[in-house]
Amino acid sequence: MPIVKKAPAASRDQDERELQRDCASLVLQLADGDPTTRRWAAKDLVGCPDVSAALIGRLRQERDPSVREIILTALTQRADAQAVAALVECLRSEDVSLRNEAIEAMKTLPDEVAPIMGGLLGDADPDVRIFAVNVLESLRHELVEQWLKEVIERDPHVNVCATAVDLLGEVGTSYSREALEKLKERFPDEPYIRFAADIALKRICSN
Amino acid sequence: MAEITIGKEDFLKFREFFYRKTGIQFDDAKRYFVDRRLAERIEATDSRSFRNYFMLLRFEASGEELQTLTNLMTVNETYFFREEYQFKCLVNSILPEITTQKKDSRPIRIWSMPSSSGEEPYSIAMYLLEYWPGIEKWDVEIISSDIDTKILGQARRGLYSPRSVQHLPKNLLAKYFKAAGDGFQVSEELREAVEFTRVNLMNQADVRAYREFDVIFCRNLLIYFDDLSRRQAADTFYDALHPGGFLCLGHSESMSRISSLYKARKFADSVVYQKPKEAR
Repeated sequence: MPIVKKAPAASRDQDERELQRDCASLVLQLADGDPTTRRWAAKDLVGCPDVSAALIGRLRQERDPSVREIILTALTQRADAQAVAALVECLRSEDVSLRNEAIEAMKTLPDEVAPIMGGLLGDADPDVRIFAVNVLESLRHELVEQWLKEVIERDPHVNVCATAVDLLGEVGTSYSREALEKLKERFPDEPYIRFAADIALKRICSN
Repeated sequence: MAEITIGKEDFLKFREFFYRKTGIQFDDAKRYFVDRRLAERIEATDSRSFRNYFMLLRFEASGEELQTLTNLMTVNETYFFREEYQFKCLVNSILPEITTQKKDSRPIRIWSMPSSSGEEPYSIAMYLLEYWPGIEKWDVEIISSDIDTKILGQARRGLYSPRSVQHLPKNLLAKYFKAAGDGFQVSEELREAVEFTRVNLMNQADVRAYREFDVIFCRNLLIYFDDLSRRQAADTFYDALHPGGFLCLGHSESMSRISSLYKARKFADSVVYQKPKEAR
C-alpha cells in the first residue's frame, strides 16, 4: 500500500533546532534576518520574564505578517501593562491589518482593557474612539453598555456614535433607551443614526 | 414555570451575535431548532428571560455558557465520509495542485486532528486509495492526533457501529471492513496505514515535531476554542504546513475570522485555506 506509516517523532527529533533557546538569546533572535527564526523566538519568549518591551520593539519594525501575528499573540498571552500599552499604540498605526489584529487581541483582555477604556473613548482622535468601540464589540465586561451609552450621549462625532449605536442594537437594554431617543435628536440630519437607533429601540422594547 | 418564548427580534439579535462568535449561521428555517435550545438553556441557567440569558452569554467572563450553548447548537457526531465534499476537494483539487508543484519525491503528509474515534483519518485513507489516481505514484503519510488517549485507543482498534458507516458505499464497506459483534471493524491494512498520536494542540512542546505537512484537516474543533486559543491553533498549523500547504476546516468555520496569514482558496468542491507559497 502506498500509504506509509511514519510518526512525527520518528521523522524529526523532538527539538532539533540549533539556536539557543534561553531568554537572552531569544531576544537577540528577534532581530534575526530570517523570519522563521524571529517567529520561533517570539513564540518561545512567552515564558520569559520582562520581555514585553523587546517584543514591542520588534513589533514596531516588523514587516513580516506571520512574525507580527505571533508577537501579538505573545503580547496577548502576557497581558501585562506594557503589552496592553503596545496594543493601544497599534490602534494609532496607519497599517490596517496591524490595527485590526490589535483590536482582535484587545477584545480578549477585558480585565486589562477595562481600566483604560475610558481614556480610549475620550481620545482626541475619532478613529481611535471608533476602534475602542470595535473592541467593545466582543469584550466580556459588565460595563460595555454603560460605555456605549456614554458614547452616544457625549461623543460629537457621528461615525463614533454610529458604531456605538450599532452595537447597542445587540447589547442595549432599557438602561440605554433614553440615550437612544436623544441621539436621534442630536443628529437629526443623519438618516443612518435614526435607522440604527430605531432598530436598537425596537429590540429593547421587544424584551 | 411559565413557558419561555423567544421573540423574532430576540432571534435576530441572537443570530447575529452567535454568528460573530462562532461563524455558525442559522437561517429562518432553523428558528424552531434555535428557539428550543435557547429556551432549554434559559431554564437550565435560571435566567427567566431571553434578555437575562443573552446578557449572561454576552458578558460572562469565563465564556462557559457560550461554550455549553455552542455544544448544544452543533451536531457533535462523527461518521465515515462526514462532509465528504472536502475529501472530494482533496483528491480533485488539492492533491493535484500539490503534486504538480512538488519539487521532491518525499511522501505527501496529511495531518488529521482531532482524530476522535478515527472515522476521519480512515475516510481520508479510503478516499485516497479509491478516488485518487496519484496514489499509484506518490507515497502518503497520514498522521492523526487527539488529546484524549482513550479515544486514540478506540481509533486504533477501529470498531464502529452500523450508524458510523451508514454513509459509506456498500462496496467500500465490504472492501475495508469486516463484521465484528454488532458492528464493523476497519481492516488491518487500513489500521496499519494511519499513525495515531497524542497531541495537545495548545502545548508547544507537543506540536513542535509536527512539521512539513502538505494538508491539515482540523474540522469542527476550533469552534470549541476561545479566541486566543484559536489564534494559537492557527499559528501552530501555519508552522506545521509547508509553504503552499492547505488547511481544511469544518463547514461552519472560517480562518479569515481568526488569522490573516492564510489565503482562502475556492475550489469546485470546497473553500479551504492555504499557507502562502512565498511564506517560509
